[in-house]
Amino acid sequence: MKPVDKSIDKQTLRRTLLKFAGGALAVVAGMSPGARAQSPKRGGTLRLSNGGDPPDFDMHQTSTYLSQFLGAPCYSNLMRADPKDYNRLLPDLAEKADVSADGKTVTFLLRENVVFHNGMPLSSEDVVFSLERIRNPAKGIVSPRKGLLGNIEAIEARGARTVVIRLTQPQPDFLFLVSNPFNVIVPKKVAEPLDAQGIGMKRQIVGTGPFRLSQSVDGQIYELTRFEKYFGPAPLLDKIQMFPIKGEVERSAALQGKRIDACFFFPNESVLATLRKVPGMTVLRRPTPTFINLIPNVQRKPFDDPRVREALSLALDRDSFIKTVGPLSGAFFHSLGLMPPGSPYSLSTAEVKQFGGYDTLPGLGGDLAANRARAVALLEQAGVPKGFKVVIPTRGDVPAFRDAAINVAAQLKAVGMDATVDIRDAGAFYAIETKGDFQMVVHSVAMGGSTADQILGEGYTSYGGRNYGQWKDDTLDNLYRQQSRELDPRKRGDLIKQFQLTFLKTYYQINLAWVGYGAAHWNTVQGWSALPDLYANMQLGQAWLDS
Amino acid sequence: MVDYMLRRLGIGLVTLFGVAVIVFFMMRVLPGDAAVMLSGAGSGAVSEQELAEVRIKLGLDRSLPVQFADWAGHVVRFDLGESLRTGKPVIDDIARRFPYTLQVVVMAMLIAVFVGVPVGVLSAAFSGSWGDQLLRALSIVGLAAPSFWVGLLLILGLVWLFQWSAPLMWEPFWVSPWKSVTQLFWPALAVGLRQLALIARMTRSIMLEVLGEDYIRTARAKGLSEWSVVMHHGLRNGMLPVVTLIGFEVSALFGGLIVTETVFSVPGLGQYVVAAILNRDYPAAQGIVLILAGIVVLGNLFVDLLYGVIDPRTRVQAGEK
Repeated sequence: MKPVDKSIDKQTLRRTLLKFAGGALAVVAGMSPGARAQSPKRGGTLRLSNGGDPPDFDMHQTSTYLSQFLGAPCYSNLMRADPKDYNRLLPDLAEKADVSADGKTVTFLLRENVVFHNGMPLSSEDVVFSLERIRNPAKGIVSPRKGLLGNIEAIEARGARTVVIRLTQPQPDFLFLVSNPFNVIVPKKVAEPLDAQGIGMKRQIVGTGPFRLSQSVDGQIYELTRFEKYFGPAPLLDKIQMFPIKGEVERSAALQGKRIDACFFFPNESVLATLRKVPGMTVLRRPTPTFINLIPNVQRKPFDDPRVREALSLALDRDSFIKTVGPLSGAFFHSLGLMPPGSPYSLSTAEVKQFGGYDTLPGLGGDLAANRARAVALLEQAGVPKGFKVVIPTRGDVPAFRDAAINVAAQLKAVGMDATVDIRDAGAFYAIETKGDFQMVVHSVAMGGSTADQILGEGYTSYGGRNYGQWKDDTLDNLYRQQSRELDPRKRGDLIKQFQLTFLKTYYQINLAWVGYGAAHWNTVQGWSALPDLYANMQLGQAWLDS
Repeated sequence: MVDYMLRRLGIGLVTLFGVAVIVFFMMRVLPGDAAVMLSGAGSGAVSEQELAEVRIKLGLDRSLPVQFADWAGHVVRFDLGESLRTGKPVIDDIARRFPYTLQVVVMAMLIAVFVGVPVGVLSAAFSGSWGDQLLRALSIVGLAAPSFWVGLLLILGLVWLFQWSAPLMWEPFWVSPWKSVTQLFWPALAVGLRQLALIARMTRSIMLEVLGEDYIRTARAKGLSEWSVVMHHGLRNGMLPVVTLIGFEVSALFGGLIVTETVFSVPGLGQYVVAAILNRDYPAAQGIVLILAGIVVLGNLFVDLLYGVIDPRTRVQAGEK
């Protein structure tokens, strides 16, 4: 393979390579303002609680932040998000990444002398195995993010330190996708036999990260201890203890009672409001790539009719939704289009306002009464009778589902629909959803990244994992593929915009809000900063305690 | 008496079998299954084929009678299977969590009985006094205040008043008895307040009834001290319903500590059973329900035996039967 000097996405790659060169600055970048003012102290135990028990430890198989928060300090990726700017990548296990001139071959050069927590040295075989495990898992192993690596044609180990990945088509977002926080590198010799048994790494953590799992007692404690042979900057904390406390109020009480030092997951605003009043406490809320959409099932009448779907969108007052559901679930944010708030690919206000109901986004000055009158007219045209019964199944344990569904049902009544909410537990809800046995759902969709390929590919293509509404649209799928392989950033931006405009016109999914989670910690916790992505910057290698 | 006990044990075994059948099939009737929950189907990227493979791996592709026979066959050998969630033997998970729940239940009931019974007796003995009125009002508060709220108040109150909070690492009683008692006292208090109020009210009400009986008047007429009348003649006769209540509450507490365990993060059975049901962790849910049913059966048997100790008439009746 020829080393290359031409980038697949000049902007992205330039930024990436620049950061590779300045990787040592990562330590500084990860620190909070308070941390920069003082010199970091080594030692101490950081006590955390972010929710209940992680269901399992297998980062490739899981989709929950609970497992990711536990695994992140223990594992490494090829590259990882810059703690200061999550749109940039820093070297992690890969010392260097080269992209071929045609953008179809990526070569990673691995660091030397990296060892796993069990003492085995890292080799390119481990990287190949890990990426293959994600994109093409063994029987009985589930890989919810295999779509991220769907563009890979082949992965090859060349010597102990080089990994070559051939892509079916150029993909400017590829480095971000392969560096997704869940796409960690596991040791082949440990994982392969466990996979063959169908167990996987569900109860094991063997990584190359700054901390190793030293104790795990379900329901009581997960303890991580500094890994002295970590290849990166020496971790500052002696230990990290994670306690499973499921309830937010209980976590807040534990934090106020100094039973824990920090909690990085608080959706409920009233809990954060209480914590804001506590002297010595740092409280923040940041957006994360999680959106709440109303998703009609297009396989069910009358939702196969675009007029009916548009009427649903017109019926909804997004501003009121955000004000009502936001404090309960963290759905405080909104964006223009399908990309996350603040995305460079956001649409203009005028572009968004042309779609039914989107003018009710905060600050856009929409006329709700006129929208709803038009919704009623559209429903009438589509032959939907007044008092049409709609049941919205939802899961009762998550406000972003439950309270969002309740709010939507209430709003749909305003256009003559007899909407009710069917609250189930998670198992029952997912059984309904997996079977497609619903009219519509209000779904909180958590993405593991903010790139266009991630958001649009997983969230808004026919074959994406989040097509709960079961629609099929070749135009959209083709548009997605076009933007995914476009190397020219300007042209790609246009295609992404075109995709969004085309999608919004279909009302296959109706966007309501974006979620942002709260975090709170005592001021003694330093060296950690929140990124607008829940999963990024959770390695905590440079977090320290000022006490 | 032995016949009576054997008969009760036999009925208990039949009850346990019934519970086993019901819980097994109820778990299967619930929508969604372990494969859906374990494979993270909520992420939307899991195909039907992958789900089918997970079901085969878990043995869920077999018919229900075959699955039941397999599970029941293991249960009679005291093997409750492996938790689908934790991957550990269910019996080990339960054994690790049981002592914490048991300790909270025992401590809560000790608080409830040793405070509730005297409060009830005093209330009855001084019925209508301001003290009685106050204790009755407090007992209503105790009944009405939810244990999670009391728990949160206790946690925050201890911090504000004494800058003290219970650590999150719980020590088993046999490792560090004093530390364990001081840690679990607070959850026990939070949950015990309700039982205390209940027992106090029940004791008061029974004692008021008993203290109006003819034999109490006779005892007083004999010149016995009021203490002797109340404690020896009144309380002993009035204790049967209270003991029944205590037995019932102990059984109920084993399965009902979920909220308190959550508030205080006690790694007990309550959290385990809820997680098992929500995750469709069939072996864990079935195992724990069976164990809890066993506790209820044994608890009822124990209460029956206690009746005999408290009231000799029941011994005679049981013997006659």
